[in-house]
Amino acid sequence: MASRKEQKEQARAARIAQEQAAAANKQRNQRIQIFGGAIAIAVIAVVVVIVLSVSGGNGSPKGATPGIQKGKSAQKLYSSINTLLKGIPQSGTTLGNPSAKVTMQYFGDLECPICQEFTLSIFPQFVQDQVRTGKVKVIYRSMCTATCDGKMSASAENTVFNRQQVAAAAAGKQNKFWQYTELFYHQQQTEGTGYPTDSWLTGLAKEIPGLNIKTWQTDRTDPVLLDTVNADQSYAGKAQLPGTPSLIMKGPKGETLVDNGNFPSYSDLARAVTSVS
Amino acid sequence: MEGSAQQSAARSRARRDWLVIAIFAVTMIGFLDAAFLTYEHYNGLVGLPCVGASHGVSSCEQVQSSAWSKVDGVSVAVLGLIGYFGLWVSYWIAAKINGEIGRAMGFCIALIGFGFSGYLTFREIFTLHEICEWCVGSAVCMTVLAILTAIRFLRGEPAVS
Repeated sequence: MASRKEQKEQARAARIAQEQAAAANKQRNQRIQIFGGAIAIAVIAVVVVIVLSVSGGNGSPKGATPGIQKGKSAQKLYSSINTLLKGIPQSGTTLGNPSAKVTMQYFGDLECPICQEFTLSIFPQFVQDQVRTGKVKVIYRSMCTATCDGKMSASAENTVFNRQQVAAAAAGKQNKFWQYTELFYHQQQTEGTGYPTDSWLTGLAKEIPGLNIKTWQTDRTDPVLLDTVNADQSYAGKAQLPGTPSLIMKGPKGETLVDNGNFPSYSDLARAVTSVS
Repeated sequence: MEGSAQQSAARSRARRDWLVIAIFAVTMIGFLDAAFLTYEHYNGLVGLPCVGASHGVSSCEQVQSSAWSKVDGVSVAVLGLIGYFGLWVSYWIAAKINGEIGRAMGFCIALIGFGFSGYLTFREIFTLHEICEWCVGSAVCMTVLAILTAIRFLRGEPAVS
């Protein structure tokens, strides 16, 4: 039988233990509440940042033009393009010696990723070996494929397609069509999203040293350029071209659709040049 | 009995120490990664080593120059750097001012970093079809930190001194 003093001590110890348990319990609950609060704050913050990021991705941010390189990065890109094209005659959408015996018609869509792959991987060697040497001239023609992939309404797709193709053609009036086209393909984004807005296209134009932006803007409204884009589309439809890029090689010995419209290798192109020369 | 309790306490301390050391180490790795990306961003991406490349342009350069490399005009590399700096501040608050608040702040920042870097990685894989190892590295750091700082907060370790 415990003495009265011992009983008091036991009761005191029990009370202290109870108080400690209650304090620990309170602290745990408080911690869980803070934990939940931290998660809620984080979720809200992430949603806000993603919304801001998405609005930038759609091409309508404040200030900066999304996907358009700036500063040294833009200079480096333009420098590589300039190295490829420097010294080669240009007129409108034509690249190369105007009196070259062989003409390659390049049917493309500036939003087409396969055209991008062709333009950035195969085309540079072709330019170096066949165009720079005066054997072949290249004429770019418009054919809506990737831009008209059904992600937007037909009229919206047509508007975007005309806007981007005419923007490039307008640079051609200052003999800088190929600089513009190369820059477009290098900085191409997700097809069919309508990203080539006026500000995006202007941002691209501003990357070309020596291009008079004011003149370029005026030329963009030239109805002849739009008529040319429409005529190209009409021709591509009548010729039943299989897609983009479609490359038609024409020379003294005839005309051929390179590799039947499949993605060509450099040797396919070189063979086609030989066959029509 | 007493010896066993002391051993258990020592093991517990060691575990806590390793958790804090791991958090510091991963934060430092992520911080250096973000600092390098920020430097490269302002230096025109001219010296950014990258494994992948297509069309003669490195994957890192394509990701870093894409539409998703900026949030309202601010480079995501800069945002990452700010995030890691915030983590260091939270560790300092946990150690010097209020352990509970500091640890909660660290967890919150790491969770934001995890969420946003997860979104950016999604964009890399499914929109851009290009992978930037430096960005993925930072995303991995933030994922690990979100887990470690959550453990640290829920365990309620004492502030680092």
